[in-house]
Formats: sequence, C-alpha cells, structure tokens
Amino acid sequence: MANTTSKVMDCTAFEARLSDYLEHTVEKDVRKAMAAHALLCPLCHSLMNEVKNAIAACRKVAEPKPALTRLDAQILARTMPAAAINCDEFEAYLTDYLDGFLPANVFHRWERHAVLCDDCTDLPGEVVRSLGILISYKSEELPIPFGLHERILERTLGTSRARSAKASWSDRFQEWVRGFSIPISVPQLAPVAIMALFAFLFVTQTVSADGSLSDVYAKSYQLAEQTYEQGANVWNGKPMDAPAISQESINGTTAVSNTDANN
Amino acid sequence: MWLRSIAVRRIRVEALKASAEINGAELVRRARAGDGIAWEDIVTAYSRRIFNLAYRFTSNVEAAEDLTQEVFIRVYRSLDQYDAKQGDLTNWLMRLARNLIIDDYRHRQRNPQNSMADAVDDHQYHLRAVGTGAHKDMERRELASQVQEGIDKLPADLKTCVILRDIEELTYQEIVDVLQIPEGTVKSRINRGRIELAKILRRMRVVTI
Repeated sequence: MANTTSKVMDCTAFEARLSDYLEHTVEKDVRKAMAAHALLCPLCHSLMNEVKNAIAACRKVAEPKPALTRLDAQILARTMPAAAINCDEFEAYLTDYLDGFLPANVFHRWERHAVLCDDCTDLPGEVVRSLGILISYKSEELPIPFGLHERILERTLGTSRARSAKASWSDRFQEWVRGFSIPISVPQLAPVAIMALFAFLFVTQTVSADGSLSDVYAKSYQLAEQTYEQGANVWNGKPMDAPAISQESINGTTAVSNTDANN
Repeated sequence: MWLRSIAVRRIRVEALKASAEINGAELVRRARAGDGIAWEDIVTAYSRRIFNLAYRFTSNVEAAEDLTQEVFIRVYRSLDQYDAKQGDLTNWLMRLARNLIIDDYRHRQRNPQNSMADAVDDHQYHLRAVGTGAHKDMERRELASQVQEGIDKLPADLKTCVILRDIEELTYQEIVDVLQIPEGTVKSRINRGRIELAKILRRMRVVTI
C-alpha cells in the first residue's frame, strides 16, 4: 500500500508540496504519501532535511528579540509608569552600568529607558566608542621638543652638560651620612634631651651649694672624715682641733663644729 | 656623530625605562649628592611622560614645555624630600608633576588671559612614525588632534577628571588624593565628563553611530 502511494507521489510533486508539508497544511492522505516518499527516496529525504534546517536557521536569525524587549518596555512603561527613570537619572547611572555595578532593580529600569528613549538609546554606544578613542589617543605620545632636556639641565644644574656636574666631596659625605638609618627617629629624641637637661639642672642646682656636682662628693667625704676624727678625739679624751674644712652650708646641712660637739 | 648621539640617547632611554623602578632610590641618592649624570637620567626617563601630561592640559607645545621645565625644577629642589620607603620614584615624581600641572591648569582657568586653549589649532601634532603609510599617519594625526580639541571643550573640572581617569588611568582614590574632593564628586565628574565628551565627539563627527 505504501509503495502504491509513493508511486503516486513522485519527486516533482513532493518538491511542489514540501513547504506545505513542513507547515502541516496538507491533507492527511497527501501527508502520508509524502512521508512514505521521503522514506523511500533518499534525495527527497535529504532535500526535506535541508529545507527544515534552513527554515530553523532563518527563524533563529529573525528572532524579534529587540522588538519584544521594546514591546516589554512599552508595556511596563504604560502599566508601571512610576518605575521608569528619566534621562538625567539614565545618564547618572551610565558609568555604573558600563562598569557592571548597577543594582538589579535599577539595571532593568535603566535598560528599559535605553530602549524606549530615542534621545538616550545611542548614548551608551557613543560613550563606549569615545572611551575606545581615548585609549588609542593615549598611546600616541608627542615627542620631546628639541633641546628640552638641555634647558632643564641648564635650569637645574646650571649647565647643559651633565657630565661636568660632579658631586663635591662634602656633598658626597653628607649623602653618605644620610644613608645611615638611626634606630630612633629624631623627633623622639627631643623629649629625652629635655628630660636629661632638667635632671642635670636639678642635680647641679639643688644638691650642691656651689653648683657643681663633684663638690657634693668632696664635701661629703671631708665631712665624714671630720666627724670620724671628732668622734675619735672625744673617745680618747683629747682636746678637739678646729675643723679643717670651711663651715659653709652644703645644701641646708652644716658642718659639725667643736662647740656643737661639746654641747 | 649627531646621529650616533641620538641613537645612544635612545638606547639609554630604553635602558632607563627598564631600570628606573629598580634604581629610582639610587638615582635620587646620587642626584642629591650633586651627580649630574644621575639627574640627567631622571630627566631622560620621565620628561616625555610629564611633557605629554602637560600637553593634555594645556593643548599647547610651548606651554607644555615651560610646564615640564617647572616640574623638573620643583623636583630637583624637592629631591631631599624623596623617601624610597614611601613609594617608588615614578609614583612620587608623577604625583608631584600632576599636582603642579593641575594647579597651573586651575590657575589658567581662573585667569583666562593666560589660557593657551585658543592656540590649539596652531600646533602641529607629531606622532610616532610607526604607521603603515602616510595616509594612515595623517588620519591618526587628524584623529588625535580632534580628540584633544574635544577634550579641550569640556568644562575644566570634567576635563581634569577625564584626563586623570581615562588617559592617566588613576584609580578613584588616587584622583581623590590629587584633587582633594570627595569620591562621590570624582565619580560623578568622570561620568558626566565621559558623557559630555561622547556628545562633543559625536557633534564633531569623530564618533559615528
């Protein structure tokens, strides 16, 4: 039976009805005959597959995605007008959009505006292209004007011949000294120095009557010697001699005199 | 002899570029001690970059040249302040250069009689001869000239931010440090500057849809 039907449907008739067959608009019996012919005839089977693929490719290319996006945007703009952003807001968010930092809620509103607003729709592309131009512009550098180096050297070193400017020994020495790093930074030394100065003044001005530090030790030694001598004389019952050292006060203390000792 | 000296200088520049980061501290130490060669090496390594930065702001070769000289004089006097521990020589030197160039730009904006912007058409924009033919070179030259003209048409605050971000490639934080303005203001100016520049270049037909 199938063979009989396929005989009825020849290749020319198959080709003539192929488009209708693929669109599912042929009658049931014709459809059966064409299917049977396609199974039996490898050429027509191949042709049918090619046409199918071509139609699928065309549909894919012609997908009306932007139109749908615009339609979506129009519907949302009409139904939710409060969610739309204006041109100023659109421009304010442009760099964030290009950098990919736009929050999701703003992102969709921004894209909707980009689709709907005729004034703004080309702006993102223009900004991207001008940034691209800036990148190529950046790589094009002007050469140094003739004689600029010499003029700089003249104004800094005093001569355009750098080789003639040699470092003096003193400058080199100073720079060499600079190279040493001091473990304590200089500002931190200031309070230490002040404390040392105060300590020195305190000791010299309050302990010693004559203002010298060494005098304190000398006089205290003499005083101790004299006291020992007086004590020894008293113990041995000998008359006491006049004190050998001066009787000036040492920081509020007085030397022990014979009179005091007798009393 | 003349050609030989040019070739020697070119080789030296390339070598200096490679070793500048490594030897920055050493160069400064020698220059501080009065070594003319060390100072010349610093000038050679950074003069082109500083000159081009000055040119972006002034749009005038002579003004950029004067500014470059001023920058190097300031750098020479400030060599004592350089501390290698605080950052490399390039960062320190370019920061100094940027501050000086931007200060000069702001000063010229406040005193328009000193502005060199009107002379933008007078200069010849020289590009490196690495193109693929005279026609291509001419096109690139023309494009570069138009871009500089477009940048010059931006308001001063936007121009500064666009140059620092999109040509000098500074981070937002670095721009904040240079200009001493809040980060939000920097971002806003960069965004506005890019949009304005795109619109200007479209009107000049540099950017086509």
